[in-house]
Amino acid sequence: IFSFSSQKSHHFSRLSAMSVYKLFYFDIRGRGEVVRQTLALAGIPFEDIRLPRPADGPQWAEFKSKTPFGQMPVLEVDGKQIPQAFAISRFIASQHGLAGATAFEAAWVDAIADQWKDFHTEFSKFLFVKLGFREGNEKLLKAEHGIPSLDNFFPLIEKQLKETGSGFLVGDSVTWVDLLIAEAVQVISTAEPDFLDAFPEVLKHEQKIHAIPLIKKWIENRPEQRR
Amino acid sequence: KLTYFDGRGRGEVARQLFHLSGVPFEDNRIPMAEWPAHKASMPFGKMPLLEVNGKPLPQSYAIFRYLAREFGFVGDSPFAAAWVDAVADQFKDYFDEIKSLLFVHFGFAQGDKEKMMKDVAIPARDKFFPMLEKIAKDNHNNGHFVGASLTWVDLLIAEHVSVLLKYMPGFLNDYPTVLSTVKKINSIPKLKEWIDKRPDSTF
Repeated sequence: IFSFSSQKSHHFSRLSAMSVYKLFYFDIRGRGEVVRQTLALAGIPFEDIRLPRPADGPQWAEFKSKTPFGQMPVLEVDGKQIPQAFAISRFIASQHGLAGATAFEAAWVDAIADQWKDFHTEFSKFLFVKLGFREGNEKLLKAEHGIPSLDNFFPLIEKQLKETGSGFLVGDSVTWVDLLIAEAVQVISTAEPDFLDAFPEVLKHEQKIHAIPLIKKWIENRPEQRR
Repeated sequence: KLTYFDGRGRGEVARQLFHLSGVPFEDNRIPMAEWPAHKASMPFGKMPLLEVNGKPLPQSYAIFRYLAREFGFVGDSPFAAAWVDAVADQFKDYFDEIKSLLFVHFGFAQGDKEKMMKDVAIPARDKFFPMLEKIAKDNHNNGHFVGASLTWVDLLIAEHVSVLLKYMPGFLNDYPTVLSTVKKINSIPKLKEWIDKRPDSTF
């Protein structure tokens, strides 16, 4: 029915009776990337369905009413839909050892993710103008929203990394919030190369997470990288 | 130990989870004037803060989900739990849009209530509540928003709807299933007991 690009994940790890996973999002990294990376790190094969943006075709207009909240990403598991990027990521992560080793660690993963969301709500007022997604006074927004939100959020992440000492944000092993933060750092560093220079642990963390073999492979092969 | 302002706000769902489960907790309420002195000791500079055997946990939804998991209010399967999370996060997006008017009602900010109703509240409502009404209708045999048993997103929505009914009566007249689901939730004996005896607050 829809014609949009679809790529099968390269990461087949188990050939037992597996559920069928389809992820629906736009053909960008955006809010979908943390979900794609969580699926990739969990070794789950999935159909990475990418809809053209509304300006480029009617596919999203048609699909929108079929989503629970009129938004994407949406994960379909054996035909059943789950909306909301964090709900999806947590659903996959918690079943594949990527959500913390204890209930309390899982809660800290959630807390850092929600703190990032608060940061991103503010920061994106600047970032989306910088990236050309909307109109605005870039310089003013950087001063009023970009820098203050950055200075509120990244010291917390820097401190958290120093405290765990493991190279991961929570506990001793990788969780989905590591993927979320590393992706955000990559986006910010690409847009404004020196913006995170005051946060060396944060920059090291991004390098470390993106060097994890399954993540490195995902990044190398994702459509955005090959354009 | 739960530390929050002396009001319902972003702490109430945690209190309700404790009261529903019968697990004792220190309900540490900080007067507004004393808040600045506490801010620096909070991991993320904000409240609510949960302490579990002295170990801190910030961020309201992380706290609610943690307590809900401990006490059995998180959903009856991983899929249901994911839907609880999704409805909660969708609610959060809606709340971020409407909160500016609510803060005026609570007395935290100045604003033209009528103008904000038209420009802010009604658009936010009209984006979110039709979807919530459908979710409630699809699940109406169960009397909850998600699944067959009480979850923390039921409490989250019921508390917010109570605020709307108090400050903006009639605001949800077009969403009868949401209202009837909230009514069912609020009549759960242990919850009703807490609601009847809890301290009053504007927020």
